Amino acid sequence: MAYLLIVDDDDDFCAATAMVLRKFGHEVQTESSPEKALARMENRLPDLVLLDVMFPEDDSAGHNLARHMRCSSEKLKNVPLIMLTALKSDSPLGFIDCGMNDPDLPAVHFLEKPIEFNTLISKINSLLA
Amino acid sequence: MLDNKSDQIAVYELSFEKPDEAKSKTPPDITDESLRAPLLAANAKWFCNLRWIVISILLAYEIFGQSESILSFLGLSAPGVWVLVTVLILTVENTFFLLYTRKVSDPAKTMANLWGQIVVDIMVLTAVIHFVGSLETAIAFTYLFHIVLACVFLTRIQSLIVTILAGTMYCGCVMSEHFLEILTPTTIFIHSSENLIKLSQPDVVVWKLFMTNGIWLVVWYLASRLSSMVRERDIELAETNRRLAAAQEERTRHMLTTTHELKSPFAAIHANAQLLVDGYCGELPDEAMNVAKKITSRCQRLTTEIQEMLQLANLSSSSQRKNKWTRLDCAVVLYWCISQVESIAREREITITTDIQPFTFAAVEDHLKMLFVNLIANAVRYSYPKGQVRVTSQVGPTGQVLVTISDQGIGIPADKLPKIFDEHYRTNEAVRHNKESSGLGLAIVKQVAQMHNIKIQVQSQLGRGTTFKLFMSEALKKNSCSWPGREG
Repeated sequence: MAYLLIVDDDDDFCAATAMVLRKFGHEVQTESSPEKALARMENRLPDLVLLDVMFPEDDSAGHNLARHMRCSSEKLKNVPLIMLTALKSDSPLGFIDCGMNDPDLPAVHFLEKPIEFNTLISKINSLLA
Repeated sequence: MLDNKSDQIAVYELSFEKPDEAKSKTPPDITDESLRAPLLAANAKWFCNLRWIVISILLAYEIFGQSESILSFLGLSAPGVWVLVTVLILTVENTFFLLYTRKVSDPAKTMANLWGQIVVDIMVLTAVIHFVGSLETAIAFTYLFHIVLACVFLTRIQSLIVTILAGTMYCGCVMSEHFLEILTPTTIFIHSSENLIKLSQPDVVVWKLFMTNGIWLVVWYLASRLSSMVRERDIELAETNRRLAAAQEERTRHMLTTTHELKSPFAAIHANAQLLVDGYCGELPDEAMNVAKKITSRCQRLTTEIQEMLQLANLSSSSQRKNKWTRLDCAVVLYWCISQVESIAREREITITTDIQPFTFAAVEDHLKMLFVNLIANAVRYSYPKGQVRVTSQVGPTGQVLVTISDQGIGIPADKLPKIFDEHYRTNEAVRHNKESSGLGLAIVKQVAQMHNIKIQVQSQLGRGTTFKLFMSEALKKNSCSWPGREG
């Protein structure tokens, strides 16, 4: 069992994903903005973060938080991070792990929305293993 | 290109404009400082090339002038020393200006180069006019070449200065011969002494000078006016072109945002429908399960369509310049693409056979995968159940690679082949066979092929199958502006 944090402004998506992950025995918290998520992570370090890329207030808020985690925070540097994006559409098929590593964001994994829960679960398991 | 000669097999070759060619059709923006220097340098070089022609004519006169029979046939006198001296001066001038044009890229210095050429040319031309016959022959009208060229390449005021300079030099030459008697009137024609005497009358000389200069001014006025009108059109055209490009960019950006906005709610619908179908909310009655499955299926289909719209918009947007080009092991890429469509093939009991020779190709990995996945998935989707899809690659002796993806499916009617790469185009046969397609797959294939300079040939026989042949060559690609080696 792991402590997972989902950061996404879409409440319905958060609730559905949290429900599935809880069924797999994980402890899940959700946050709707990167600022709140950062505050929560400072209080308690998650085992893995699922982070949306675009937020209503800022198109690159997700990227900014990821960059902060990887480049500016010693504490959060090694937390496994999966970014969920609806815009990364260069991948040949919509429902697969893009498998790309952004050179600016080392060790960040991308999954393209809409995600298949089976894909998400296996990705999480491989990162937590 | 459609070729129907072979027995019932239609062949179509996808042709497209290379990005470089498309770019070259855009009128240059002559108001842009960065473009002015190369444009001026090109003009300066062109002047030099024209001068070689003049040098050749003078040399021809010098060579053929050694034969008395040719000279008497043409009615010309033997060439004087002035011919060789002029050739020498022009050759030195031309070599100097050519070297100067290659070395200097500053617009001001290139403009000085142009002016230097014009002034030296007019001086040399005046000397030639004196020796050929300033009044007796029409040689003085060769000043018009300089006047017209100045109208085309320089501003109106500058071209007027060239006209006045030409007029002054010509008047100076004629007056030196006939009024000031500094120079002796001369001509290259043998039988001209009587003419020369008649033309040397002061009133005839004045009238001739007056008319000649008048004609030059009229030519200057017409040519410079026409030229400035054309130049204004050029500027307008460049501006319109810039606005169109900006509008296209804005449209693509807007489309990306809109499709993203559409995709997010679908992600939530898809996630919630999965909860129902996968039993996370408890067991559903059969009818409810059917409804949930339909929602999931429709959701997937719409998401795929949005996905394809995004891919197409991404491919045609300027963000493509940031693409990461790498040398790919294409056998690995092909096997990966086949693995992505294996589940659909299994569902329809379609066998995918391969004969893939390893080869490498510099490409944007995601884009090349998009191209192969779309073609292989199409081959599977438009095959009859239990059919066979074959994927092969062959490496030619010159390094050119031929990738073929063939099926034994429904085929494409010959008259519809030229349209299959259009966005949202689907043949009636394709719609009947497979309703779930957006008609964007081959438009994506076309965009990727264009970016990578991959030549595509389609052979199809209705009811028997289709073969897509991809000709992939590094040599072809070196002409493309998207080739990474050229961008550094």
